[in-house]
Amino acid sequence: MKNLYYVVKKCVGCKTCELACAVAHSESDDLSKALKEKRVARPLVRVYGVSGKDYPVTCRHCKDPKCVAACMAKALTRDVKTGMVLHDEDRCVGCWMCVMVCPYGAIRPNHKIKLPLRCDRCKDKDQPACVKACPTKAILWEEEPEPKK
Amino acid sequence: MKHVVIIGNSAAGIAAAESIRQIDKTSKITILSDEGYEAYCRCLLSYYLAGEVDEEKIPYRPKSFYKENNFDLLLNKKVVSVEPEKNRIVLEDKSSVGYDSLLIATGASPKFPKGVKGLQQKGVFGLRTLKDAKDIVALLSSSGSVCVLGAGLVGLRVAHALSKRKLKVTVVVKSKQVLSQMLDARAASLVQKKLESNGIEFIMGADAVEVLGGAQVKGIKLDSGKEVPCSLVIVGKGVSANMDLVKDSKVKCADGILTDKFLQSSIPGIYAAGDVCENFDLTIGKTAVNALWPIAIEQGKIAGSRIAGASEAYDGSMGMNSIEFFGLPVISLGVYDIKGASVSLEELETFDENKGMYKKLILKDGKMIGAIMVGDIRASGLLLSLIRNKVDVAPFKDKLLLEDFSYPHIAGKTNEKEQMYV
Ligand SMILES: Cc1cc2nc3c(=O)[nH]c(=O)nc-3n(C[C@H](O)[C@H](O)[C@H](O)COP(=O)(O)OP(=O)(O)OC[C@H]3O[C@@H](n4cnc5c(N)ncnc54)[C@H](O)[C@@H]3O)c2cc1C
Repeated sequence: MKNLYYVVKKCVGCKTCELACAVAHSESDDLSKALKEKRVARPLVRVYGVSGKDYPVTCRHCKDPKCVAACMAKALTRDVKTGMVLHDEDRCVGCWMCVMVCPYGAIRPNHKIKLPLRCDRCKDKDQPACVKACPTKAILWEEEPEPKK
Repeated sequence: MKHVVIIGNSAAGIAAAESIRQIDKTSKITILSDEGYEAYCRCLLSYYLAGEVDEEKIPYRPKSFYKENNFDLLLNKKVVSVEPEKNRIVLEDKSSVGYDSLLIATGASPKFPKGVKGLQQKGVFGLRTLKDAKDIVALLSSSGSVCVLGAGLVGLRVAHALSKRKLKVTVVVKSKQVLSQMLDARAASLVQKKLESNGIEFIMGADAVEVLGGAQVKGIKLDSGKEVPCSLVIVGKGVSANMDLVKDSKVKCADGILTDKFLQSSIPGIYAAGDVCENFDLTIGKTAVNALWPIAIEQGKIAGSRIAGASEAYDGSMGMNSIEFFGLPVISLGVYDIKGASVSLEELETFDENKGMYKKLILKDGKMIGAIMVGDIRASGLLLSLIRNKVDVAPFKDKLLLEDFSYPHIAGKTNEKEQMYV
């Protein structure tokens, strides 16, 4: 299964990934139109500067996801076949239990629309938009390493 | 063939059944419930009451679930006693069911205070089951006002829901603050103000002594003598564990059924999980019942895998909850108030009254044991991880309340399994 990894040495904190992510999750998939949409798309990846280095943070699609266990509306589920944690917007009530339990702080509340913001690995595209957009190749889209024993 | 009996068809019971089946495909698994529905999302009942969630969104598993997993589901069956010496449970209709392993996942029920007269009337409800919710909804068209007794999580959720249904809502609170089981006075007052500014009324420091009326509720009488008219009364005075079924057995109980690190009770072969279970609390350092959905799931999983022969141990639970009223998000984790604490605890906080923003962290010996977040909850998952992993936060204490406190600040310190950086 593929996951997103970040080469901290290469990340310069330009936030191009944030922009590409927001555009990729907009209705139009077009920067000039995205900002005028009714539901303005927000980045699902965030880049944080800590002690002079920059670190992107995204959902890990954990094998034993705490958010799925905590989701009281059954909106979050894990698809065993694809290894993806999926979110059903129609079932979500915006209770923020998933925000409360994510140990990576990778789920943020979008208070405007009462839905969580969380990386979906651009599931409808052949590769995540951030990977393509990163000018320094700091974002890797690779097979997961064998689990450490 | 081994027969596992699970009493309770909800968060804990289902999590256990699923985790048994992951390991053991053949044992017979029987799930009993005294309700008439397949498992549903109990925490959505207040959203259902508000008219925000339809009944079709309530089910917790697809229709095919029980059959596909080969679970025998027995609905509308109330278990009245457990007989460990005979390895069997006895149902209300006097029939009995034998077991090799038993999981008690019977949850909890609303407490109806003894001192209040007239609680048996039609029009007085707790909110625990889908049936409760449906019965309340059926009365909504003929109800203009409601009194909610108690300002705990469920009481306030009901108040919020019924105000969305345009009822006039009055909440009667015995203590000085709302949500006294999860917030300190300052956070509680932010929540209360939010609810008040949206039309919900509070009567603080008062208790109901009587529900007035007869065939129909007409109001409540308070201990001050004052009467508040209403046509519906909801009792939100907390819950107590459903453990009547073991009261004549040797299963040891306190506020819940006492369990060990494998969720086994004092009697081998009998397990408990969820709202009925008392286990070690990580933040207060002694046993407690933490009657919460995610905890019912994690305890159910561990109990189930143990019943199926695995040896994963449970390190304990802790209080944690997330609520949001009229756009104000609030999260409480672990210890939330240091009033009356016998050991010395440290508090870190930021407060901006105008923005309605308040964060407080509680530390003991350099480690976090609790937090409250009002207005900005983004970092709550990181704080929870620091608490659960007992991380020494002293070296980066000054960062914890920063607005952009984020995973890179704690990466490598919390034993999380998934890798992010190379
Ligand atoms: C309105 C509402 C809102 C809530 N909101 C939240 C929230 O925001 N966050 C949170 O963490 N938690 C919340 N909770 C609490 C959460 O629902 C419980 O912690 C959770 O349901 C516990 O699961 P359980 O499986 O232990 O018990 P329950 O869900 O109570 O299920 C118990 C099961 O046992 C069965 N049973 C009981 N006694 C018997 C018997 N004698 N014989 C046969 N069957 C029996 C019942 O029929 C039921 O199937 C809320 C609860 C309510 C009512």
